[in-house]
Amino acid sequence: MTTDAETRTATAETRTATVATVGERHLLLDPGMDLTLRPMRYPHFFDRFKEAIKNTWTVEEVDLHSDLADLAKLSPAERHLVSRLVAFFATGDTIVANNLVLNLYQHVNSPEGRLYLSRQLFEEAVHVQFYLNLLDTYVPEEKERFAAFAAVENIPSIARKAEFCFRWIDSIFELRELRTRADRRAFLLNLICFAACIEGLFFYGAFAYVYFLRSRGLLNGLASGTNWVFRDESMHMAFAFDVVETARAEEPDLFDADLEQQVREMMAEAVDCEVQFAEDLLEQGVSGLSLTDMREYLQHVADRRLVTLGIAPMYGSQNPFAFMELQDVQELSNFFERRVSAYQMGVSGSVTFDDDF
Amino acid sequence: MTTTRERATNGSAGETTATRKGATNGSAGAEQQQQRRQVMEVRKRNGDSEPVDVNKIVRAVERWVADLNEVDPLRVATKTISGLYDGATTAELDRLSIQTAAELIGEEPQYSKLAARLLAAYVDKEVRGQQVASFSQSIRYAHGLGLISDDTAAFVSRNARKLDDAVDPAGDLRFEYFGLRTVADRYLLRHPQSRLVVESPQYWLLRVACGLSGTPAEAIGFYRLMSSLAYLPSSPTLFNSGTRHTQMSSCFLVDSPRDELDSIYQRYHQVAKLSKFSGGIGIAWSRVRGRGALIRGTNGRSNGIVPFLKTLDAGVAAVNQGGRRKGAACVYLEPWHPDIEEFLELRDNTGEDARRTHNLNLANWLPDEFMRRVEADGDWSLIDPSDAPELPDLYGAEFDAAYRVAEKQAVRTVKAQDLYGRMMRTLAQTGNGWMTFKDRSNALSNQTGEPGNTIHLSNLCTEILEVNNDAETAVCNLGSVNLGAHVSTDGVDWAKLRETVRTAMVFLDRVIDINYYPAEQAAASNPRWRPVGLGLMGLQDALFTLRLPFDSAEARELSTRVQEEIFLTAVETSAGLAERFGPHPAYAETRAARGDLHPELWGAEPTQPKRWAELKARVAEHGLRNSLLVAIAPTATIASIAGCYECIEPQVSNLFKRETMSGEFLQVNTYLVGELKARGLWTAPIRDEIKRAEGSVQGIAELPAEVRTLFRTAWELPQRALIDLAAARAPYIDQSQSLNLFLAAPTIGKLSSMYLYAWKSGLKTTYYLRSRPATRIQQATVAVTPSSVTGVDAEALACSLENPESCEACQ
Repeated sequence: MTTDAETRTATAETRTATVATVGERHLLLDPGMDLTLRPMRYPHFFDRFKEAIKNTWTVEEVDLHSDLADLAKLSPAERHLVSRLVAFFATGDTIVANNLVLNLYQHVNSPEGRLYLSRQLFEEAVHVQFYLNLLDTYVPEEKERFAAFAAVENIPSIARKAEFCFRWIDSIFELRELRTRADRRAFLLNLICFAACIEGLFFYGAFAYVYFLRSRGLLNGLASGTNWVFRDESMHMAFAFDVVETARAEEPDLFDADLEQQVREMMAEAVDCEVQFAEDLLEQGVSGLSLTDMREYLQHVADRRLVTLGIAPMYGSQNPFAFMELQDVQELSNFFERRVSAYQMGVSGSVTFDDDF
Repeated sequence: MTTTRERATNGSAGETTATRKGATNGSAGAEQQQQRRQVMEVRKRNGDSEPVDVNKIVRAVERWVADLNEVDPLRVATKTISGLYDGATTAELDRLSIQTAAELIGEEPQYSKLAARLLAAYVDKEVRGQQVASFSQSIRYAHGLGLISDDTAAFVSRNARKLDDAVDPAGDLRFEYFGLRTVADRYLLRHPQSRLVVESPQYWLLRVACGLSGTPAEAIGFYRLMSSLAYLPSSPTLFNSGTRHTQMSSCFLVDSPRDELDSIYQRYHQVAKLSKFSGGIGIAWSRVRGRGALIRGTNGRSNGIVPFLKTLDAGVAAVNQGGRRKGAACVYLEPWHPDIEEFLELRDNTGEDARRTHNLNLANWLPDEFMRRVEADGDWSLIDPSDAPELPDLYGAEFDAAYRVAEKQAVRTVKAQDLYGRMMRTLAQTGNGWMTFKDRSNALSNQTGEPGNTIHLSNLCTEILEVNNDAETAVCNLGSVNLGAHVSTDGVDWAKLRETVRTAMVFLDRVIDINYYPAEQAAASNPRWRPVGLGLMGLQDALFTLRLPFDSAEARELSTRVQEEIFLTAVETSAGLAERFGPHPAYAETRAARGDLHPELWGAEPTQPKRWAELKARVAEHGLRNSLLVAIAPTATIASIAGCYECIEPQVSNLFKRETMSGEFLQVNTYLVGELKARGLWTAPIRDEIKRAEGSVQGIAELPAEVRTLFRTAWELPQRALIDLAAARAPYIDQSQSLNLFLAAPTIGKLSSMYLYAWKSGLKTTYYLRSRPATRIQQATVAVTPSSVTGVDAEALACSLENPESCEACQ
């Protein structure tokens, strides 16, 4: 195994100089700047890019009107929850975008993969704009608003999550090229961290709070925007796992018990981070959202991420939140209520009169 | 890059403390949790605390489960406690137990009834907490708060005992949870300051009945009909009957402003006033000149209609319908208007936001000439209304002639198919830009008997077609029969259906006189024409009960037969009202006065010729009390209250959720659940399978083919069948029907074929195009599997025929 990997790394090195040569076979994580889209090596990445475009939405479509009235109705405990939550959102997507630019884009050596990442970067920017708009609306008082944006520094439960993210951004920050097996494993850990732990757990945790509130008919504006964010994040995560699986298929020896163990440890730390965030959010007691249930939910989500990666689940926890089950069910909004978010952007074809319908 | 480094380092430094603090929090939290486990307490309404008692919750649940054999009270109780925190109030506990029961609906639909009953008990407690123990007390109390009209208060006070006795204590047992939640959150009257509800659900329905009745017997009869959920009037009537603002109409059809500034701003004012009291608005805009047209007064050029519609958009958003729902309007434009292309982009979510109207709905008001040129691949002229101001008032041959003359001054000429293609794209991308047909709508209307009376548009939901003009805004009030409540496995109960229609018609007609008209233009039109719109809901329930697939010939026959019965009975009732009170004042201008009833305009062959012949004779003698009688509205909210499927729609999914201002609600097809249970197939794996298939059962191999056929969803039905069903019942609908069409993945080709077919079938209007999201959120609760490798051999895949879009390498 080691021999294979070393050989491959060696080959990769010699190839670096000529990597843009048309048609030459190289691996996904081989260093370089492949520019060739034909023949297409990873059409599934390109399909994901096209799918993502169909999901285009803009911040202006989200109506936050009714949220303001709802905010006034919230109990102090719920208001605390919401203020912490939006403070997390204020910086969460920016962190993800930074890792994308600083690490992922550099090392996923596939032009179609980079197309997807470019699209993802745009989506992260829209999310940042959405939460910016949200905070500006929710927190009209300037001082309080600035404090919310500085959450990574002054709110311990958020700072801890941020530290976790920064540590993983830094873990491969010095790497200019993935030359050795160790480099590639470090990269995969970063990728898995952002997909499974940050987008896949931190964001999924945050979404649970939003959907809890929505299931009570509260903060529909936040929920409808978050719904679109959630849809995008689901795709980001799926793409990242697709990259992981592709790399694994190309270089099976990158994966072993040791790597699995590192993923497990990383995931356990992520769950800890998110549980202490939950303790902060729920400290005043929110009826229908107990800390016990939240912990169970986070463990359940973590298990799902592990299973997706082909790793045995760690917790064996069940999802306690019926309102999350609602998220798996197709929606039917009528126009008197909220905007229908289900329409597609890209529509093809031309006028004919004999198509089947 | 350096910045990031620093940032990261700062983050780490700050974090060390954070971690420590977090860890401390963590262990303290765990200890607290331990303690909570032991001494969890709730605060009672009187301020005392007491330990949470699981048995007490179990007993509260058990009160309501006599007829619900699948409900487990202990499960509700323990799950409720698991979500509770120490120090919660008993009101929170009650609300949580309702929510907990509701969350079990996906597993067992009977929990819907349980949740509804717990909610009814909660509401009842709230009402009684204000010293209201009877219907008449609730009216007196609400009258004192300024909510109830003097007339209704006096009527109730005079007949207090009879009315109090009429309240059906079992009435609330009929509600499903989503329906009652909607009622409780949005329909029941609330105290202006405390926001507590001041009437129970049954008091509410009786109040609605009293607001429209002259005698207690009448009120009680109407109340019983509504309480049985076999018929419900539309939301504005349910909101406002008996109150101080008796605006009970659903729809307003406002003619286009004249091509001048004053008229445009008057329209904004009118729309705001109409919106305020829960009316949906259709407004035409075809008379206003397009971009670039000369403005003589200033010798400048017009900016066209888009900036004006942007203003309308803001106005509609600003007016909230009494806090109960947002204002809503649909703008109609004819396709010869020079701004038609920009109009079609108003709902796009990209582009300059100053040219986007996120709150307006859009509809195309299409003359046949346009569709003919689309079919013939001809040219289409765009004409400025300032050059041909007569076009909006003409239809049929007269329009064709005037249009051809006006083409000589066309602003621009486009290919008809190009414009049609853009319409299709708008439909696919926004669901909006509804296709409605001007000529058919006018030619087959009872109101257009006299030249000069023209229908200029439809309404917000494309089921109302009424004449209007600059000074008269058309108005319609609606109600819908729940067909599901008139059908058993033996078939339709025709006698009951007739009885329901008779009662419904009398009270729809009654609204016209009692109604408060928020704008003078509306008050000018409604008493003259007295139109009403009796609709239908629960067609899908009836078809499930009778086990008829939606696209079967039997389903088409049943739907047509039902519609004939409803229309025939409605016309009979209106004729009866005319015998007592005289025909509506504009009767002489109608086609009925010329001897033509709607099925004859359509050239239909009724199944009850004898009854029709007798009816014609009666109409010839006494006329009709109402110029229009039947319209099939979408019934989004009232179908929820009645617990049936919406209007004439097929089910959208066997499992879906509703998002409303009240929250999210899971809806399960109970007919399917019954079927699966009978076959021992209502199991967790099958439920997961249905969820994974987004509510489809087509992949469940254990189900026989004919069962799967029955339980297809709207996405799985041929849309041709929906159009055929609509066209078959159309002769018995003198207004129109809100016909949604469903294509999971629309293409321009499919859409252009489908809408041409709809036009050729003779439909007057169509409504939304429904499509599915391009991709979905990763499901959070169904079982996952390790992600499969899709890119094992990139080379092989790149050439795969299964990936045609990525397979251009070899072409």
